[in-house]
Amino acid sequence: MQITPEIVKKVASVARLKLTEKEVKEFTPQLSEILDAFSKIDEVDTKSTKMSIQPVELRNALREDIPGECLSVEDALKNTEHKKDHYFKGPKVIE
Amino acid sequence: MKFSGDVVVGLEIHVELNSETKLFCSCPRKEKENELPNSRCCPTCLGMPGSKPVLNKAVIDFALKLCLAMKCKIAPELIFSRKSYFYPDLAKNYQVTQYELPLGSEGEVALSSGKKVGLTRIHLEEDPASLVHNGGVQQSASVLVDYNRSGNPLAEIVTKPEMNSADEARDFMKQLITILGYLEVFDVNNGIIKADANVSVKESGYSRVEVKNITGFKEIERALNYEIARQKRDVSEGKTIAVETRGWDADKGLTYSLRSKESEEDYGYIIDPDLIVTEITPDWIDRINAEMPELATEKLKKFLDDHGIEETTAQVLSKDKKLAEMYEAVSSKVDSSLASKWIRRELPRVLNYQKKTLEESGITSEHMISLLTLISGEKITEKIGQQLINKLGEGPYDVLDYVKKEGLSVVAGESELEILCGEAIQEAPQAIEEYKSGKEKALNYVVGIVMRKTKGQAKPDVVMKVLKKLID
Amino acid sequence: MSNEQIVSEVESLNKEYRYLNEVSIQESSAKGKLSGVCVSVKDCIVVKDMQSRAGSRVLTGYSPVFDATVIQKVREQGGTIIGKTSQDEFGFGSFNTNVGLGLNIPLNPFDKTRCCGGSSGGAAGLTQKAGFHHIALSESTGGSIVCPAAFCGVYGLCPTYGLVSRYGLMDYANSLDKIGPMAKKVEDVALMLEVIAGYDEKDSTSVKHEKEEYSSFVGKDISGMKIGVIKESLGEGVDPQIASTIQEKIAVLESKGATVEEVSLPLNNSYSLAAYYLIAMCETSTNLSKYCGMRYGKHESLEGSFNEYFSGVRSEHFSAEAKRRIIIGTFARMSGFRDAYYIKALKVRTKLIEEYKKTFESYDVLISPTMPVIAPTFSEIGQMSPLDHYRMDILTVGPNLAGLPHMNIPAGFSKDMPVGLMVIGNHFDEGKLLQIGKVLE
Repeated sequence: MQITPEIVKKVASVARLKLTEKEVKEFTPQLSEILDAFSKIDEVDTKSTKMSIQPVELRNALREDIPGECLSVEDALKNTEHKKDHYFKGPKVIE
Repeated sequence: MKFSGDVVVGLEIHVELNSETKLFCSCPRKEKENELPNSRCCPTCLGMPGSKPVLNKAVIDFALKLCLAMKCKIAPELIFSRKSYFYPDLAKNYQVTQYELPLGSEGEVALSSGKKVGLTRIHLEEDPASLVHNGGVQQSASVLVDYNRSGNPLAEIVTKPEMNSADEARDFMKQLITILGYLEVFDVNNGIIKADANVSVKESGYSRVEVKNITGFKEIERALNYEIARQKRDVSEGKTIAVETRGWDADKGLTYSLRSKESEEDYGYIIDPDLIVTEITPDWIDRINAEMPELATEKLKKFLDDHGIEETTAQVLSKDKKLAEMYEAVSSKVDSSLASKWIRRELPRVLNYQKKTLEESGITSEHMISLLTLISGEKITEKIGQQLINKLGEGPYDVLDYVKKEGLSVVAGESELEILCGEAIQEAPQAIEEYKSGKEKALNYVVGIVMRKTKGQAKPDVVMKVLKKLID
Repeated sequence: MSNEQIVSEVESLNKEYRYLNEVSIQESSAKGKLSGVCVSVKDCIVVKDMQSRAGSRVLTGYSPVFDATVIQKVREQGGTIIGKTSQDEFGFGSFNTNVGLGLNIPLNPFDKTRCCGGSSGGAAGLTQKAGFHHIALSESTGGSIVCPAAFCGVYGLCPTYGLVSRYGLMDYANSLDKIGPMAKKVEDVALMLEVIAGYDEKDSTSVKHEKEEYSSFVGKDISGMKIGVIKESLGEGVDPQIASTIQEKIAVLESKGATVEEVSLPLNNSYSLAAYYLIAMCETSTNLSKYCGMRYGKHESLEGSFNEYFSGVRSEHFSAEAKRRIIIGTFARMSGFRDAYYIKALKVRTKLIEEYKKTFESYDVLISPTMPVIAPTFSEIGQMSPLDHYRMDILTVGPNLAGLPHMNIPAGFSKDMPVGLMVIGNHFDEGKLLQIGKVLE
């Protein structure tokens, strides 16, 4: 399909990426070419084929409902630069 | 979809399931007293790079109970997906939920009117973190995030748009709470239950408005009544009702428009490749079926048809699993109308006064059987019975021992009383004459004689009644 | 060698070749199979208290509060951890040139104008150059172990999906990622696999496979083994000198009693690249969402709405290739497109696995060159479009997509650069790969 600069910008914004005009210009033909090449899988008949979510057959990995150890609050917050009174601090949620 | 009602309401309800640990990690689910923010977390529920989810088996048991109680079809496989959107309360900026194949589908719940409300789906998902806005959402320049709740197990129950009033929506919630209480999959006292409602009115041509984040089932009715009135008023003022998402402000008691962008998000679901398929085998469903308690609707039917107790009483008892079970145990030993009356009225009165739950009070069906057997055998008066149950409210004790020790039992039944009354009539001919000539009070003297004969353990009103019968 | 000597050797190597993002020694007090062995760790595997960035600036400063399961196992066996090796950002590349912003590109040990291969380039280069007893922990999503091993002339084994726990691996694509060893000797590959393989209840995709003595396969006779040579891998687009080097090695295998036949994998040859990249990009675009400057890694000052803040951090600190993959992955799973790309790719994957499984009914192992070219020069790489770049993985994506174990075996040289032979086994047939590896030593 034809990828336009508008599509690139729209998808980028869904993914919370703000592209520069230069990036949009660079990415648009690249992504067009890549998606065209990937569309090749259309040729494969998969009408009665199941999905393989993982490459090996995997079933039923369940955990018993028994409490385990938690991190200390210090470790939980160790890697954030934005914290206050044992809370993480995040950006405001209203525009 | 074609609608006919004046008002059309559908609900999406999130119920926090009552497991010990979170959905995908072994952090405790329950809030601890005076816990610090971010003290009930691990790499998984904080979304730390390198962490991985592992599914909690008990949560599936709980969800299966819920599906069976609501007569859902159960999927043969449990698969989780990633719902992608960015928000500060999401540890990974995606929520692990179910998309393609919900655990339960096509269920139903009966309202108290008997009307059945269809369910589209029941699925499992993880709870986001809690946000604290200093000085309110609008003013706060940043948000504080506590991941203690992050990853808690939620069941999402989605109804068909088949309710036709705020009242029905509230009733649905009440039925749901009763079922949850019976299944013991939800902490009725501390658990979180939230609802999103979609509501539309005939006047607007059923333009669908979603009202998000209504906490607690009592709020449902308020929020819907407000929203229904708003839509009708707007239509009557010539405004069009936009298809939109609105928030519910419980403090101000009104709904408000959320930015349309927030409802347009493309979630880009993929199957979570960190999790694998769980097979819901027929054996598993059989096991859950075997563990299923008798539900409120079944109990109600039994109370009405087999026990023949009065309808309102039967409804009150069947709503509360603990009361219903106590009634069943007690009525196997004691007359069912006496048992139902006391367990519906006297017991809740005492618990209410003591501000205790039934478990906390320690009152058992054995206590109630002792007490009610004494009353039905007329060994004690109802008045004494009330004193005894009040005392049970303060703390459990041996009812029979206490009655014996304190000499509270009624000395005799009516037949024995008749003999004593006969004697007393012979002993006080003058008083009898006065009574016969119209002096009612004269009989009190004779009652006194009888009371002396019984050492005070007869019921004066009964004595009076027996005397009158003998004289007349 | 003392720790000081190791540090000084690693640091001087690093100055010249830039193999590590982080040089840091963590010794273990335990005694075991890895006592006296230095273990380098690909940057995407978390090591407690050691900066772990998965080669990305967005993870600057991330100091994990827990160990990956493989790290815990290395410590239990007495291994000394020496640092974090360079990689393409999150594994996004085949040349280790797509490093995160501000990070260094490692240089090929045989020719500094050429790349190491990727994405585990630092691991391969260091394995080739280290003068002390060293085994690398590397990781492959679509060929990231065997490709750099081929370009740097070392052994690299990517195990069956699920054999080695991914707990503590910072995800590129969860249904494709595998941790595996790289070493200069087959024995060391087997040794490390013995240490890290095994079921882990912390990783739901971990497989309950019986424990195996991988070392016992090294040196085992291969006579009677049936080997399939993948026809498409030696034809068009493959450096003729590479093809002839592989043919020489095939002759060696025949001389040791193996039967060799040509096999064809037409579906994999045509569709594995597209199916692989679609699945990898869809998964990675969700994995990378968590990097937003709130809980770890790069932070900015908290200004603007959450959308502005998250977009700012992500746009500033992801490199161009990460952005491309996030955008393609996000697009391919958007409603309206997900059936045609994402869901379709998962179904095609089933077909491709079936093709391999059918082939393994007749053959013990399959053989092809690891890469169709020798390590390209940096200027050659500069000429490639992103799609050209992806196409370099044509031979390695198949076994990765199917979760099959595969190993690079140094096979000789072309233009003084190493040539790698790739041997692919059926699920859990790592032992056979080690047998072949030793025979071709």
